[in-house]
Amino acid sequence: MDNSSIKISILVSLYNFAENVQRLYDSLIQAVESYDCTFEIVCVDDGSQDDTLKQLLQLAKRDKRLRVIKMRDTFGESAALEAALRYSSGEKVVYLSGRVRVNPMTIPRMLQHLDDGYDLVMGWRYPRRDFLLNRAISWLFNRLASRLSKVRLHDINSGVFVAKRGVLERISIYGDLYNFIPVLASQQGYKITEIKVEQQSGAFRMSRYPNEYIQRFLDIITVFFLTRYSKKPIHLMGFFGALFFLAGFIIELYLGVYRLLFLGPIAGRPLLILGALLLVIGIQMITIGLLGEMIIFTHAGEIEEYNIEEVIN
Amino acid sequence: MSSSSQIFVSLVIPILNELENVHLLYQAVKEVLDTIDRPYEMIFVDDGSTDGTREVLRELASEDIRLKVILFRKNFGQSAAMAAGFRESRGRIVVAMDGDLQNDPKDIPRLLDKMEQGYDVVAGWRKNRKDRLIVRKIPSRIANKLICSVTDVKLHDTGCSLKAFRREVIDRIRLYGELHRFIPGLARVEGARISEIVVVHHPRRFGQSKYNLTRTFRVLMDLSSLNLFLKYLRNPMRFFGTIGGWMLTLGTVMGIYVIYGLWIKQVPVEYMNVLVTTVFLFWAVGIQFVLFGLVASLIVQTGTRRGSSLSPFLTFAESGIKEKISG
Repeated sequence: MDNSSIKISILVSLYNFAENVQRLYDSLIQAVESYDCTFEIVCVDDGSQDDTLKQLLQLAKRDKRLRVIKMRDTFGESAALEAALRYSSGEKVVYLSGRVRVNPMTIPRMLQHLDDGYDLVMGWRYPRRDFLLNRAISWLFNRLASRLSKVRLHDINSGVFVAKRGVLERISIYGDLYNFIPVLASQQGYKITEIKVEQQSGAFRMSRYPNEYIQRFLDIITVFFLTRYSKKPIHLMGFFGALFFLAGFIIELYLGVYRLLFLGPIAGRPLLILGALLLVIGIQMITIGLLGEMIIFTHAGEIEEYNIEEVIN
Repeated sequence: MSSSSQIFVSLVIPILNELENVHLLYQAVKEVLDTIDRPYEMIFVDDGSTDGTREVLRELASEDIRLKVILFRKNFGQSAAMAAGFRESRGRIVVAMDGDLQNDPKDIPRLLDKMEQGYDVVAGWRKNRKDRLIVRKIPSRIANKLICSVTDVKLHDTGCSLKAFRREVIDRIRLYGELHRFIPGLARVEGARISEIVVVHHPRRFGQSKYNLTRTFRVLMDLSSLNLFLKYLRNPMRFFGTIGGWMLTLGTVMGIYVIYGLWIKQVPVEYMNVLVTTVFLFWAVGIQFVLFGLVASLIVQTGTRRGSSLSPFLTFAESGIKEKISG
């Protein structure tokens, strides 16, 4: 197959998906053929325990446009996306996570938006057909994330998006940051939009790991910090550190004056311990901020904190 | 296009929403540069303008091959714009200037003359500043005092954007965040010879000033961390460890006193509570500082190993460049 002629790469990550592989493949082919463009499909089997891989290989035997990547273990979607990206060549990239079960028929419309000048088109699962708790948490997560990152989207990690290859190669999608692809992209100045995609039923399950829910909110803090303060950690931590320190200082000052004026004993008062604690936390925050600055400063040579759209002459 | 070694001076100008100014700026700059009669290039870095400046820049660049235009995808800040311009520049001398026409391009030849006298950095000094006193001049003067004392640079006006740098200085300085304010200081650390000349300053003709007062706090924090780095970056344990060590010592002394009081003098615990809390506090913070010092050493060490990272702290003498300049 001549790689240079491929315009669109459809990347799919699958985990324990055996019974739906055929259906997904059929609907993908149907959807993309209507767009009329040369394409390839790269399916990543993320270490499934069922026979997802066998199904994929059977399909690949009949269809040369289908490429299969087998991960040695379950490494998660960010690793799957990275691998698929490396073994594909299309200028436009469609990504679909097996986890979200959306209708691929929306993909041509998403590609259309890309042609209209957007760099990244996110899928917005609407209406959601999902476990109620998942939906509630997802709603809260998206509200918080979009407020903190100032990227106005309804479904930040929907697991389906279309992007220009350059966007994905530019932003780092390692680890949990994978959940924040649109935030990272907009930080780099790329144009982003979203489009409603239909969610198919069948995803009615609660996460087996309660930690996943806590993790998502920690992710928000991470992304807030990384997008706004990664080059100036002292601005955030110095501010809050100074605040805590000041509060602790005022409390201890008050207690000191109180004691010196012989208004009563202060030793047994919980306020004493609170003040001490605030002082410690304040100092800690400032110092950690300094350490952060130090990391950035020593790596200043590798930082390129801008993204050039065009150089003329 | 002439080869890189032939270009004598590169002029780098960050531009943000200067629709009315950009044409005038180009004309004024070009006129002056033509008079120095040496090969030059102009680099205009558009920091994500939204008012049509980009279209004007495109047009200008299409007519003049010596004008290089860099368009950012969005606003990344003045430091980033300068860093990008510096990285794209190829001249033996790089002149930086604001895009708002408050600096006068006519001062550029005088900057270059001063450079010829053997300086590595020549800064402009806006002796008769045409700005409002309260919101701009006074904060700027205070900031200047602070910056000079921290970075050990004797300049009257570090905030003036009009500055000339030798190529070697440019290649060594890595700009990020809001460090563009401290370029002379960063250059100073590398052993650069710094001087200044008085330059003309015009009032703003068009457009809005992009200054706001709230950034004073951030500048102060940048300055204090820079102060720390300049002094201790090679030995962070000297800083963190010293603080930690003193706290542990004080904590121990007080702890001995507490034990003496409780066990030997049989003072009731109630009288010792405050002191006991203080002892714990000092110990907790002291241990932490020592640990922070260790982590800081680790950071600096890994940073050094990557090669370029600590390069701001090579001096000209170390790298042998100084000899080349004077010779």
